[in-house]
Amino acid sequence: MQIQNENIMVFDEDFYVQQIDRLIEQIENIKKTTADNITLDFSRTKNFDTLAIAIFLYFEKDKRIKTIFSQEIINDLAEFKKNIAFDEKSSGDVSAFESLVMKVNDFQSQLKTFIILSADVFHYSLRAVFNKEGRKAGSVYQQMLLMGNNAVPIIFLLSFLIGLILSLQSAAQLRQFGANIYLVDLIVIGMILEMGPIIAAVIVAGRSGSAIAAEISTMKITEELDALQVMALNPLKYVVAPKMLAMTVCLPMLTIIANMVGIFGGFIIGVLYLGLSPDIFINRAVSVMTLYFWYQSLLKSVLFSWLIVLIGAHFGFNVKGGAEGVGKAATSSVVAAIFAVIMTDAFLSLIFYFEF
Amino acid sequence: MMQNENIIQIRDLTAKYDDRIILDNISLNIRRGEVFVILGSSGGGKTTLLKHIIGLLKPVSGEINIFGKNTLSMELEEFEEILKKIGVQFQGGALLNSMEVWENVAMPLEHHTRLPVSTIRNIVKQKLSLVNLKHAYRLFPSELSGGMKKRVALARAIVMDPEILFFDEPSAGLDPITAAELDELILELQKKLGITIVVVTHELESIKRIADRVLYLQKGKNIFCGTLEEAKAADNDEMNQFFGWSEKVKRHK
Repeated sequence: MQIQNENIMVFDEDFYVQQIDRLIEQIENIKKTTADNITLDFSRTKNFDTLAIAIFLYFEKDKRIKTIFSQEIINDLAEFKKNIAFDEKSSGDVSAFESLVMKVNDFQSQLKTFIILSADVFHYSLRAVFNKEGRKAGSVYQQMLLMGNNAVPIIFLLSFLIGLILSLQSAAQLRQFGANIYLVDLIVIGMILEMGPIIAAVIVAGRSGSAIAAEISTMKITEELDALQVMALNPLKYVVAPKMLAMTVCLPMLTIIANMVGIFGGFIIGVLYLGLSPDIFINRAVSVMTLYFWYQSLLKSVLFSWLIVLIGAHFGFNVKGGAEGVGKAATSSVVAAIFAVIMTDAFLSLIFYFEF
Repeated sequence: MMQNENIIQIRDLTAKYDDRIILDNISLNIRRGEVFVILGSSGGGKTTLLKHIIGLLKPVSGEINIFGKNTLSMELEEFEEILKKIGVQFQGGALLNSMEVWENVAMPLEHHTRLPVSTIRNIVKQKLSLVNLKHAYRLFPSELSGGMKKRVALARAIVMDPEILFFDEPSAGLDPITAAELDELILELQKKLGITIVVVTHELESIKRIADRVLYLQKGKNIFCGTLEEAKAADNDEMNQFFGWSEKVKRHK
């Protein structure tokens, strides 16, 4: 390359992209010093690589640069322009409003598939209660072990701590009014009606809801679900129904554990901090604890168990993409399950509070 | 068993993903006892056609008859009876990863027969030795190589002695020796047991070895259905290129 007077550059036969950084720098410098146009003379250039073509186009489009090209460059440039002349928009590029509409539509169709799936799952689960066919022998027991038994320690620990903290914070307030004995009512009602079912459901949603979504979505991606189907084994019967049965039994049992352990946490605070005698606490607790409270508590936990399995299965069956999709399915299922659990809890609490 | 009886009949099958037409008015007959190969370039709708035949996807319109019965209009229970007489080997094997190899192979027997466990195990052992995988009996699918997974999947597909066997890309990703062995096995099954075999593939060598008749799909259209000799005589540009019969390809060699 040589520079003839200030604004005209003439290039050799070879032009390769390695030279380009320095060249662009030089051109920028010239642009700064003069207001005149710059002329790049490529009329002798015959050998150049494919990246260089893109650079030629870049020069050609610059209004302050005048380019002179050899016939070879002109031919290749025309070819290059033809190759890049297609729409690079994807269906993913949409305006904000469009994406809002799409989200609403997506939610609608998801809700529809969720309802259909739920109906199917209830159908097959109900049949599975009476009929062992179509699932692996011992799979319900195995699921109970995984989702119920293995969750006991963590539920034990967390509901004890929640019971303890809840009572401690309330005890400090109740003490000021000399209403120490009402701690029993507070912790018994609070644990059985609200905290027990919620703690158990949230922990199980995090442990098993995500596991269900991850398992089913992986099976979908590796065609295992298809394989089941063509072996005349219904995936809902084989995979989902055992989980549904196991969860329907396990979550209420975990809820009972959470309730009792939480109340025990309150017992510790009541006895050690408020100085209630143990037999007074127990007598009061038994008289407060009506069967009706337990009925509400277990009803909630059964509904939560269904929500967790159905939401996990829904995100599992509707997985898109590969490994990333599995991660997304697991995450979404946990978020959606916890959301659904708390919404349902609020709804049921309101109904029970005002109706009865 | 009647020769030349149509075991699968497809009439005017049209399939779409969203608005994209994947299969366009496909009609074909597959005869009992033959090796029928569905081929075509990538994205031509081969696997989609297979999935429609085995009921994993539902078409927009058309009719699929297996064993002379329309599978699209039947109840799930009735279709499951047909599925029990069908074996499918999926591309990646599709073995259940939570179970050992022998449990995978035993699955159809466990669920659809009342055979005693010891008999089931013996049948599984026999099928595994048929595909040369005795040593994999107690392994998990994740401990197998790709080719071994395919062979286990084949053992699972034939464990119920099906009348029709479907293969989705049986030799894709296998070395030439293993692929040839697999082809031998396919031919053996066809000859010994009279199984009808439907293969989706684009492995040229394999097609030439096993195919009785082929279906050539081009962008979802049935552009040829017949024997390989007839395919050569048909002198279709794309098919000539596919099989390496055209001048253009020869020059490149």
